[in-house]
Amino acid sequence: MISITLSGIVKNFGGVRALKGVDVTISGGQVLVLLGENGAGKSTLIKVLTGAIRPDAGRITMGGDTVEFRDPEHARALGIAAVYQEPMVYPHLTVLENIFAGREICNRFGMVRHQPMVERVRPWLAALDLPEAVLHRPISTLGLGHVQLVLIAQALVQEARVIILDEPTSILSRAETDRLVGIIQTLRADGRAIVYITHRLEEVPRIGDHVTVLTDGRVTGNYPAREVTGETLLQLMAGRTNPAPAAEASAEGAPQAERPMLSIRGLSHPRYFTDVDWDIPAGMITGIYGLVGAGRSEVAMSVFGALGTRAGTILLDGAQVRPASPAEAMRLGIGYLPEDRKRQGIFAPQSLEGNLTCNALARFCRGPALDFRGLAAEAAQMMRTYTIKAIGPGTTIGTLSGGNQQKGLFARWAALPLKVLILDEPTRGIDIRTKQEIHHFIRARAREGTAIIVISSDLAEILALSHRMIVMRGGRVVDRCAGTEMTPERVLAAAIGAATSSSEPQPQRQIA
Amino acid sequence: MSVHAGMEAAPARNWPGLAAGREVALLVALVAVALAVSIVSRGTFWNPVNIRSLMVTSAITAIPATGMTIVILTGGIDVSIGSMLGLVAAIGGLAFEAGWPLPLVAPLFCATGGLLGLVNALVILRGGVPPVVATLGTLSIFRMCVFLVLGSNWITAIPPGLTTIFIATRIGPLPMVSVIALLLMAGAAVILRAHRGGRHVYAVGNNEEAARLSGIPVRRIRLVSYVLLGVCTGAAALVQLGQSPLVQTSTGTGFELSVIAAVVLGGTELAGGRGTLLGTLLGTLIVSLVTDAIVLMHIQPFWGGVVLGLIILASVGAGHLGQMRRQEVI
Repeated sequence: MISITLSGIVKNFGGVRALKGVDVTISGGQVLVLLGENGAGKSTLIKVLTGAIRPDAGRITMGGDTVEFRDPEHARALGIAAVYQEPMVYPHLTVLENIFAGREICNRFGMVRHQPMVERVRPWLAALDLPEAVLHRPISTLGLGHVQLVLIAQALVQEARVIILDEPTSILSRAETDRLVGIIQTLRADGRAIVYITHRLEEVPRIGDHVTVLTDGRVTGNYPAREVTGETLLQLMAGRTNPAPAAEASAEGAPQAERPMLSIRGLSHPRYFTDVDWDIPAGMITGIYGLVGAGRSEVAMSVFGALGTRAGTILLDGAQVRPASPAEAMRLGIGYLPEDRKRQGIFAPQSLEGNLTCNALARFCRGPALDFRGLAAEAAQMMRTYTIKAIGPGTTIGTLSGGNQQKGLFARWAALPLKVLILDEPTRGIDIRTKQEIHHFIRARAREGTAIIVISSDLAEILALSHRMIVMRGGRVVDRCAGTEMTPERVLAAAIGAATSSSEPQPQRQIA
Repeated sequence: MSVHAGMEAAPARNWPGLAAGREVALLVALVAVALAVSIVSRGTFWNPVNIRSLMVTSAITAIPATGMTIVILTGGIDVSIGSMLGLVAAIGGLAFEAGWPLPLVAPLFCATGGLLGLVNALVILRGGVPPVVATLGTLSIFRMCVFLVLGSNWITAIPPGLTTIFIATRIGPLPMVSVIALLLMAGAAVILRAHRGGRHVYAVGNNEEAARLSGIPVRRIRLVSYVLLGVCTGAAALVQLGQSPLVQTSTGTGFELSVIAAVVLGGTELAGGRGTLLGTLLGTLIVSLVTDAIVLMHIQPFWGGVVLGLIILASVGAGHLGQMRRQEVI
């Protein structure tokens, strides 16, 4: 069975030492869970393992022999495959063509032979629970969960013996996660080695055999997965004891508002949502939960003027509004932090300062000129308030860790005098410590009297953070609850449409 | 839409099926334009002389359009081919003037074109210049070279054999040049559809980084696509001299516009990774038809440029709308 040992791996980027002598062992038939904060060196380690970068020092041995991965192709030939969080696919090509890209089965004239390729994947399709018809569809028509399965199929077709899964569940629904866990068990039983990277601590005992904790470019712990508790992992990952209290929000007496700050009635869109009513009180955090495709983000974007609607009204502080553009929504006092940090959030090649202050430029206009000193001071202030770690405000935001980028985006909106702030997946793909910091900022902002809407796919997070919850499914509001009614069972059942004693599959009008 | 719902919904479609909608629409547009032109021209459109000239013009556009389709599929573009055609014709014309025989000069046309394509490829790949900018540069450099080669002279010493072979010789109803263009397109279509190299062209255009990490020789594919387009442009320069046996400093000016309009109208996305040669064929026919109609109706020829520009804008605009619609479905 395969066994790979990395010892004393060092990698420097410019002056920064990303890996400071890491030792990791990967064995066939086992699942190694790699934990660490953003910037702890996980991605760098993965890149070393897949041959995408070469380490500056250290040794890699496979089954006792020293090997050196020249490039990704070489590592792949040696049986190492990675499924990245943001999958690399050819959107317009079919699933079959994606699986065999660069490794087509051809006759001696170079003509691609489809039938043998189908034969090669067929056994794996069955194992992954994918229908064969999917092979001939363009991959862009598949959901992200299925794209991941296709990429796993690709790894299996290439006879990968080590499969690296980089945060596979961060974009998956509960059902998809369960299926993935099942598949991982099958692969492990098959003698393959799995390297599993995650931020979701609750997954660890369910999936892993071993846990390796990376902190700041070093391995700070190796444990059998069954023995670790969330508390110890948290401490190890943070590299210090963690002072942040657990669930402070739900415990607080939720203040009762006489009139909601934002109220939407019968909002409909021809494609995404139907007859949606939301009441969002000031000074509270309202959580919106639903599976992918429930229409959560789309409703939020309509409120923010980024998506048109067919029918319905929006009342802001009692007055009817109809924002036709994000600019108008912002003038009205509505803010929206979008879910896709890279695509909808940051201006990657720009400075941190520019990214932080881009929504507040109006305040810094001095006639036809901009008050550059004022902007710099503002950015520096924001970096302090929101503990954004960077060399200075001039640092290019694209070079920061995901957590710091996300804090920057949060700061961009939080610094505005808004009545309603919508946060769409505000902590996706960032480490637990930064997550807690952002939660803290969100609560502080709510206490100041802003009406906060949090959209998240992380059920545990949203339950801990929200004072009240609205659950959506298939473009409709299916449940509302607050306080002690907010149980994971109830919310999940409503979101997936499972018939429990309390909720019918019909939309409910239960006023929280 | 949940991922599961998405899986069940759309029926199994394979890849050529995706573009079929576009091609049917183009076919309808082609028939509609032909009808409109024949009505407005009061039947002169169907004059055999006009039809033959239309077939020759289409073929001259179609040959480089084949190469251009491949270049655009990889995510590149070449706006220099108008000047390239002029320069190849000028150099080849000198060879004709020097009395070289046709069998020797014909390969010279293709080789010169290939060489100029290689120049473009090296500027883009070695120099790291974005394709539009690089070929915009060579567009004016190649044109300058035409002036240097020709001085203030015209070359009229074009052997009549060119016209005899490519235009006058007919196979069935089609002039030889149309047959050549169709064979070239069919061959290229098979390669693009079924050959490993063709699949790699699509892969590069879809996701260059993923292609690199899959071990696909991205740079080689991009280089070959520009050289191939150069060779096609060289061939077009030769055939074009069969249609009008004269080389002057303005030869080929604006030619790139017709070719790019044909490819883009045919549904090939400028971003790369999506498009077919059947679409390009139909696009070429429509573009040639429209240009022909402008001549038939005695409209001043510069309106042709306006129409081609509008065709490019409309097709890219339509593609953009389609893209937005697709993105929304996520």
